[in-house]
This record gives sequence, C-alpha cells and structure tokens, in this order.
Amino acid sequence: MLPNRSRLSVLVFLLPPLLLYGAAVLFPILQSLVLSFFSWNGISDMEFVGLANYVRMFTGDDIFWRSFFNALGYLAICLVLQLGGALLVASLLTSLSRGRELIKTLYLLPAVISTVAIAFLFVRIYSIDPVGLLNQVLQWIGLGALERPWLSDINTVLAAVSVPEGWRFTGLYMLILYAALLSVPLELEEAARLDGASRWQLFTKIRFPHIRPVWITTTIMATTYGLRGFDIPYLMTNGGPGQSSELLTTYMYKTAFTSTDFGYASTISVFIVVECLAAVGLILFMLKRKADA
Amino acid sequence: MTAQAAPITRPVMTSPDSPPPLRRRRKPSLYGTLSKVLIALIVIVQVYPLAWLFITSLRTEQDFATGDPFALPKSLTWDNYARAFETGNLGMNILNSFIVTMGANLLIVLLGMMAAYALQVLGFRFSKVVRGLFLIGIIVPVQIALVPLFIDYSTINLLDTYPSMIIPLAGFALPMSIYLFSSFFNYIPRETYEAASLDGAGPYRIFGLITLPLSVNTVVTVVLVNSIFIWNDFIFANTFVLSEELKTIPLGLQNYIGAMGKTDWTATFAAVCVTITPLLLVFLVLNKAMIQGLESGATKG
Amino acid sequence: MIKLFRTAAVAAVTALALAACGGGASNPSNVSPTGEIKPREISWLLSRPADGAVINIMKKLADDYAKDHPGFSLNLITTPDRPSYIQKLETLAAANKLPELFDTDATPFAQQLAKQGKMVDAEKLLKDLGVYDNYRPSALDYQRFDDGSLNMIPFQFELEFIWYNKALLQKAGVSVPKSLDDLPAMCTALRKAGITPIAIDGQDQWPLERYVAYQPFREAGPDFIQKLKKGEAKFSDPAGQKSVQWMEALGKAKCFQDGFSSQGYSDAQNQFTSGQAAMYNIGTWELPSLATDKLNPAVRDNTDFFTLPTTQGSVTAANEYVSPSGIGMAVNTKTYDPLVSDFLKFALVKYPSEYAATGALSPTTNVETAVPANATPLYKKALEKANDLGNEQAMPWDTQLDPTTNGRLQQELVLLVQGNITPEQFTSTMDNAVAQNAPKFFK
Repeated sequence: MLPNRSRLSVLVFLLPPLLLYGAAVLFPILQSLVLSFFSWNGISDMEFVGLANYVRMFTGDDIFWRSFFNALGYLAICLVLQLGGALLVASLLTSLSRGRELIKTLYLLPAVISTVAIAFLFVRIYSIDPVGLLNQVLQWIGLGALERPWLSDINTVLAAVSVPEGWRFTGLYMLILYAALLSVPLELEEAARLDGASRWQLFTKIRFPHIRPVWITTTIMATTYGLRGFDIPYLMTNGGPGQSSELLTTYMYKTAFTSTDFGYASTISVFIVVECLAAVGLILFMLKRKADA
Repeated sequence: MTAQAAPITRPVMTSPDSPPPLRRRRKPSLYGTLSKVLIALIVIVQVYPLAWLFITSLRTEQDFATGDPFALPKSLTWDNYARAFETGNLGMNILNSFIVTMGANLLIVLLGMMAAYALQVLGFRFSKVVRGLFLIGIIVPVQIALVPLFIDYSTINLLDTYPSMIIPLAGFALPMSIYLFSSFFNYIPRETYEAASLDGAGPYRIFGLITLPLSVNTVVTVVLVNSIFIWNDFIFANTFVLSEELKTIPLGLQNYIGAMGKTDWTATFAAVCVTITPLLLVFLVLNKAMIQGLESGATKG
Repeated sequence: MIKLFRTAAVAAVTALALAACGGGASNPSNVSPTGEIKPREISWLLSRPADGAVINIMKKLADDYAKDHPGFSLNLITTPDRPSYIQKLETLAAANKLPELFDTDATPFAQQLAKQGKMVDAEKLLKDLGVYDNYRPSALDYQRFDDGSLNMIPFQFELEFIWYNKALLQKAGVSVPKSLDDLPAMCTALRKAGITPIAIDGQDQWPLERYVAYQPFREAGPDFIQKLKKGEAKFSDPAGQKSVQWMEALGKAKCFQDGFSSQGYSDAQNQFTSGQAAMYNIGTWELPSLATDKLNPAVRDNTDFFTLPTTQGSVTAANEYVSPSGIGMAVNTKTYDPLVSDFLKFALVKYPSEYAATGALSPTTNVETAVPANATPLYKKALEKANDLGNEQAMPWDTQLDPTTNGRLQQELVLLVQGNITPEQFTSTMDNAVAQNAPKFFK
C-alpha cells in the first residue's frame, strides 16, 4: 500500500472502472438472474414461474444435457490443442537459436482473421464432395479409409469444430508460456544436467514446476475462453447434425433468439456462469494441491 | 511509441525478453533438427489460412465455383476487389470499426490502469472482493448480456450509437486488462514508490509520473489483444446497431449475402482481405512491443 | 454490499417491466389516419439483399416521394442473413422499438405481435389504397396467418421448381419422375452412374425442410401442417409417416451429396451448374443465374425444370406447389400516421411496374414481367408457370411451426436422412417436441 494515499484517491481510481463494469457486465448478469425466474417471450407480459425453468433444465431437457457434455468435450479438445500445443512449441522454440521473433509473430497471425472467414475455410478443409484438403491429405498418406464428411459425421463433428477454435489462439498461449520458460534460471538447469538428468526429467522436475504459476493462469484463461466458445460452431454447423455439436452457449443463444424463450435462456446463462466459476475453482484447487504435495 | 523504447521501460527483475544469445548453442543434434522441422510444419499450419484467404480473393468467380479450392488458381483477377468496393461501403465500415476499436481501447486502457493501480498499488480493505467481482467478467459468456443490455439501452436511448457498442466491448474486456496491468505493476519495485512518496508525491502524481510512463509496453499489449477481438466483433454490433452509417466491418461483410443466403464469396474474401489489412499492419509494426508486454504480464502468473 | 445488491435487483426488475409493458395505443384497423402529412425520416427494418431489386426500387421511389415532400427520407436497415435478422427483430420487439416498417414471415411470433395490435391490418390497408385486387391471391395467402388475417404486404412472387440436367438423367437412364415416390429409385440409378442426384444447401436448413413438406401436401393437402403445428395432427399419422419413411428412403438412396449438412448455398448451386449434380431444387429468384447466359455454357442447353411431382391418390394438383411471396412487410401501428400512409400509397402503386421491369415476378397481376435480353428460353417458360397455378399452395414449414419445434425438426431431419436415427425415433422425438412447444405459441 502506498503510504500517502487517501480513501478518496482509492475511490477516484476505482469508481470509474467499477461503474463501467457494473453497467456493462454485472447489471446485465443480475437482470439475467431475475429473468431466469420468469417466463417471457419478449413481447407478452412477464410471468413469474419460480423455479420452473430450473426444474425443466435439470430434469426435462435432453438437449441441455447433451450440450453440456458437448461443451465439456469441446473444452477438452481446445485445452489440449491450446495448452499442449503451446507448451510443445514454446519448448521447441527455446532450443532454436535464430528466427524466434519471426516465428512468434507468424504464430499469432490466425488470431487476426475474423471467425466468419475461419469458419468458411474450415468447412472447405473438412469437405468430402468436392474433396477437401483434409481428405486429400489422408488419401496421399495412404489413410484413405479414414476419409469422411467430417462435419456431417456425428462422431467426428465435435472434434472438427473444436480444432479451429483451439488452433486460433495457440499462438497467444505459446507466447506466454515461452516467456515463462525463458525465466527458468539457467543455473538450475545446468546443475540438473550435470547430475545426468534426461531432457524429459529436466522438463518435469525443473522447468515445469518453475512455470507452474503461469501455467495456472493460462489454464484458467484457456478454460474460460473454451467455455465461452460460440462463433465457430455456430457458423460451421449451427450445432448440427442433430445436436452433435451443440454447445451450451449456442443452445442458450438459440433459446433466446430463435425460440424467444428469454426466461429459459437466462436460466441457461445462469448455469453457464456457475459452471465457469466452478471450473475456475476446480482448476485452482487441483493445481494448488499438486503444488503443495 | 516504437518497440525500441521497450527494454528501457522494463523494470529489472527477471529478464525473459533478452535471453543470452549463447543459451543453447550446441552442435546440431537429432533433437535440434527434429524440432526445427516440427516448428516449420506448425508455422505452415498457422500461416497457410491467411495465404489461402488472399489467394482466393484473387480467383475468378468461375474458378472458385468449379475448381479445386486448394489448388493454385489458373488466373488472377482484381475484379473481386472492385466488386467488394462497389457492393459494400468498406471505407465507412473501416472508419466505424476504427472509432469503436479506439473508443473501447481508450476505456479499456485508462480504466484498466486505474483499477489496477487502485488494486495493486494503492490497496484497500476489500480489494479481494473487488478482484473477485472483476474475475466474473473474464468468465461469463458475452451473449448473456445481449437482451438485458438491449432493454437498458432502449430505456435510456442509447441504441444505435457508438457508445452502445463501446460500453459492453470495453466492459467485458476490462477484467483482462486489469489483470495484465496488475501483474505488470507488480514488477515496479516498491522502493520507487516509496522514494517518490518521501519526496511528497501524492497518489495522483505517482500515477502520472511513474506508473503511466512505465506501462507503455503493457498498454500496447492490451490495445493489440483487444483490437483483435473488437475489430472482428459481430454480436454486439449486430444487436445494437441499426443505421447503415454506423455499421462496422463484420456487419458490412453481410452486404455480400444475397437472396436466400447466396453469398458472393470471392468478393467477401476480397473484402475480408481489405478489412484485416489495417489491423495486420498495426499488428506487424507493434508486435514486438506487444509480445514483450504479454511476456512481462505472464511471467508472474 | 447487500443493500447495493437489493437496489440493483429492484432496478433490474423495473427496467425489464418498463420494457415489457407500454405499447401501441393506436388501432390496427384504422388504415386511413386523418391529419396533416408531416414529412420526416421513416425506417424500414428489412431482410433482403443489400443490392437487390426491392431495395433499389424502394430507394428510388422514396427519393421521388421526397421531391414533393421535402424532409422525408426512407432509412432502409437491411440484415440479409436471416438468423441475424430474426434476432434483431425480436430484440427490437422486446424493447418495443420496432420501426415504422419491418419485415417478417407469417410466423407464430409475428402472429403474437399482430394479436397485440402492433401491425396494421394489411387487407384493409391495401383495399383502402385501392390496390388489393391487383395482388395475386396466392401471394397474399402466403402472408396470411392461420385465421385468415393479413398483416404483411408481399413484394415478390416466386415459384419453386426442381431444376435438372437432361444429359445426366439420360446418362443414368432415368427420366423425369412422375410421382414423388419415384425419386428414391431415381437417386439409386444416378448414384450407380456416378452422379450426385440432388445438390442441396444443407447449411441453411430450410432447403431440406422443404422436402418433408412435400408428401403430406400431396397426401393430405395444405391442412396437414396447420394441424400438425398445433399438435392436432401427428407425424405418427399416415400422412406424417409417409413423409418420414420417404425422407428415410431419400437418405438410403443417397439422394443428396455426401456431407450435405455442412455445405452452403453457393456450394450446392455450384454443384449443379458445374454439371456434377443432376437435380437442384430452387425458386425463380435464381432465374438470373439458371436461365440466362450467365449459366455455365457446358450445362446451359441441358438444363430444364419440372414442378413438384404428384403422387398416387394425391389430393392436390400438379399445378399446386410451393409458391412463396417472400418475406412480407408489416406496418407498425404505433407509428402509423398520415405520412406513412401517404408514402405507402405512393410506393405500392408504382412498385409493381418497376419491379417487373427487372425481370422478376411481381406479387400483382397488373404488370408484365420483362424477360431480360440475355435470357434462355427457360426464363419465359418459368414465368409462364405463374399464370397456371392452382388454388392451393404448399407452405414452407419453417414459417409455420413454432420456432423451437422448427429448430428441432431441422436438426432431426438431417439425422434421419443421414441414417443416424430410425423413423420411429424421429417420429416420437418430433411428436414430443410439438406437444411440448406448440401450446405456448398457439394458445
């Protein structure tokens, strides 16, 4: 704490951001919470229904549960791609002596392209009739048997819509992890190497523990962004075929704006908020405990 | 601000951004070669889509419709660009996106910095509660705010204005900005502040004279990261904007959709190429500063 | 903290309640308001192509009108992408901020707006302007709600045909189907010859939904969907079952291109115009690309079309099929005043001739559509079909069902055609969906 601060100065600095944030984020969330106890189609009168929306969500809605599990699968794939991929590239990059800056820049490029263009591109890549890039590559490397319409096959579509989302932001997380890896003290690594530690041991015993705090941050970032995923599945498949790639967010959006069931959509919103909070809590709990052990 | 200023403004704690050049120079090993190949492969995967987008924007419509979309085009044409400018109002869309992006960034940076300053440097009793409150914004999906915001806006007559887009965009980006600034402020040694305080500087002067000038890199980072999202934002713009004069780029791109969903894709891609160019240029020029800012925010966790 | 929360909660409810009530005090059937015409800017929220004929003509007419009425202007707010448009319309309606004019299909949502008196009675309006009798009855019928009331004004008139490639059909040794039931066998033959039978835009979902409407329309007539949407008829009824079984058969015969569910509008059309697919089901709005010299020369002379085939025992005739008049324009009661009335009078009288001059079918019969200079003979043939229509028309189901059921139907149809679910599963899921969702919309 700064010695010469006054209560007023704290308020001067804190109040404007809180006001904006309250108006744009907190207040609407509160309104959602209120709406979740009502039945409202947007144009007729609001009708108080108590917990009916919640009961319906948990007991009477097969699509809700389907999208919940889809969202978890989507999240898992995004995490593997974003965190695993980022960590891999970041580690590889530390062994490179030249061109790091260039690669870092190139790696970030997909983030600037709009999701509309990305969705369209990936639809082409996955296509089978006319043959898209992925199926063509499979043919070339002799895996022709795996060819399929990736976005129409109910077994592959969820993975297929997760990959572009994961791919887009790998660069961002890579940068963060790379910076963390560079901050690992050289002496520690040298000492371990002298003790005959293998590359893998070096990584698990020295490097990773050192970057754990950063790892926690990136995991939280990636998780919350993953749970917020919307554009790409919405644009590529609109949740289909069937409900195979429906996520909670796309389902909530459709409930609100296609079915005009604003009350129920708000109930799903509340669930998403709770789900995200729980996920973050869980991550903190698991990673903290591991660090203590 | 250019990237050259970067190293000076970075407080000396750890120095992740300038690794010793001799760090891992060893004779080329299998591992080294393998990782180079792997990196090259991954870079191709990352860059290819952008290249594809550009090449497609130069294809003739006929070639795009009938040819293999991944082969090199038989002939190149600028017609798509002509059509893109004819159909849409790209100049105005870009200007609007620029205004919205700048407006939102101004709020995000200024307010983010202020909040981080209050939380991290000034400190107060309930700072943990406030932090938690801001954390919610990182977590919740933006879609939930649409209906409530729309209703609120219509009661206070804010629909169809620049602020109607700027406010939620800034609001939802604020937590991440606060987080980045907080972790950066953490690097500024206590002693700096204490020395200034002893000289009689109050919290406002310290903010203006020490914190602000030191944060240039983080500002660049926050601005660039947010610009990426805001420049391409569709959902708020589509919900709150009604008049043609306020349409941002993603809404402008909709003009290429014809009857029943038929879309002029080559012109759309030409338009996409035009509209990401400003962003791309800024990005390429400032990316060094941005990377440094990101890294300095990250290493603390 | 708690106090702050409580205050906020109260404010939240108040804001929502404020938005929910309030509304039009005006009378929807008062179509000729009296008073002075005070020129101002009026807005039309619409979902039509930004550079299309409707928008261009209305812009021009508005400019002409403004010459005599300085201060008038027409602000056209278009969102061509339909899902985005619907979202916008709904949020505006929820906030009670609908503009003077707005587009909508005759959906259950629109019907609720009409019930609340938010849309001017279009039948009275058109009669008052003296143009009602010019309109094609089927163009108006398409816009009507179930109870026969008319609140939207059509600006288009389209006919949907199945376009086909003569050479490809010949190559597979098949001819134009005489009955809908011939279609699966036809697809099998085409597939054997290595040809994609039907190119379909699966991404936008309405094209596949057309198919599920065909069999019931032939088997039970236009009433089926009217009953089905309210839960009075079921997919488990004979007409419904016939449709379900037929859709499954289409899927089994691999009628649609592989991976159709993720292919877009342009992809599907390209498959047909590049000579890869034998058939393509689309309306006359595509005449400029299918019946002019813009069409790929390789398939131009081989292209023809047929109308929706009948079935044995069909209750509707061969000249009765899908003939939509496009999304309609509703007039907001709250903002309806002498100016809006006067402008509509001016525009609606002049619109048909301008529109017909662009080569499109006018929703009225008092003008002749101009055939463009670069048209193939098919263009005229297609236009002439408009003069030979029966009294019934097949309504697209996406404008009829309540939105939740509609969304579910679109999703389940893909699964059914892909063979991921059985007809029994489909039937029970859909009948449940109707039972659950219809009551809320059709009280």
